[in-house]
Amino acid sequence: MNAPPPGFVETKLADPFEIYVGPMFDSGEKGARRFAFRIDERHVNMRGILHGGMLMTFADMTLGWAVWDLTGNAPSVTLNMQTQFLKPARAGDLVEVAPELVRRTRALFFVRGDYKVDGETIFTAASVWKLLGAD
Amino acid sequence: MAVRAPGLPEGAEEVSAGGFNLHIGPLYRLPDGEDGALKRFGFVAAEKHMNSVGSVHGGMLMAFMDVAMSRTSRLISGAPRCSTVSLSVDFAGPGRLGDLIEARIRVPRRTRTMVFLTGELVADGRTLVTANGLWKVAGVS
Repeated sequence: MNAPPPGFVETKLADPFEIYVGPMFDSGEKGARRFAFRIDERHVNMRGILHGGMLMTFADMTLGWAVWDLTGNAPSVTLNMQTQFLKPARAGDLVEVAPELVRRTRALFFVRGDYKVDGETIFTAASVWKLLGAD
Repeated sequence: MAVRAPGLPEGAEEVSAGGFNLHIGPLYRLPDGEDGALKRFGFVAAEKHMNSVGSVHGGMLMAFMDVAMSRTSRLISGAPRCSTVSLSVDFAGPGRLGDLIEARIRVPRRTRTMVFLTGELVADGRTLVTANGLWKVAGVS
């Protein structure tokens, strides 16, 4: 169940909360990576539907990872996140995203992602990140 | 069943019964404020909720806000199910290990089908997160 999907490898997570809700998988080159996770019984609500909190956590992980790649691993923090929940997902589904950089300034990164199951977007997130020490 | 955990105020009731809520919990409902207009929830930040730089992970804060707003939508609408349509979160400050993090949720407007919510997460008088949410009441259209 938690083996990497074809073409993906397991991402080496460091944050205790990410390890606790993981694993997460990635594929492709730094700066153009795709990410995925497989929904299991830990991630769903009492009705068997993927919990919104897990989707937002995955969004924070993947958009943060994209910023981390773009900055050459410089420390940054999430300033905000806007999310839309389009369609339910269930245990067993693979959620995938290819994060996009919308704009970057000296201090800020504007990133977003369409989160998909079987090619269909179930959730979108847009987020602003601040590079620590930049102004 | 009312359970009072260390650091939680009297009247705290666990609401993390299963699935993801139980996995990230325990999460508690706290007594209402403002004659019922303010819905309150809480959790104590544990090791599993942290990131690698010693703050509570943003994903955990958003997940907790989602739980608090979902629960408030059900309480306000009386509907057995409500689903998240959108949620916007601003991160104002870090949460720390051991903090009692409290969600304070208000409902500025509701219609037959939709619930409009605002919320903040606070710890020790500091604001960690401010948020706006839109929920759909299930089963009505």
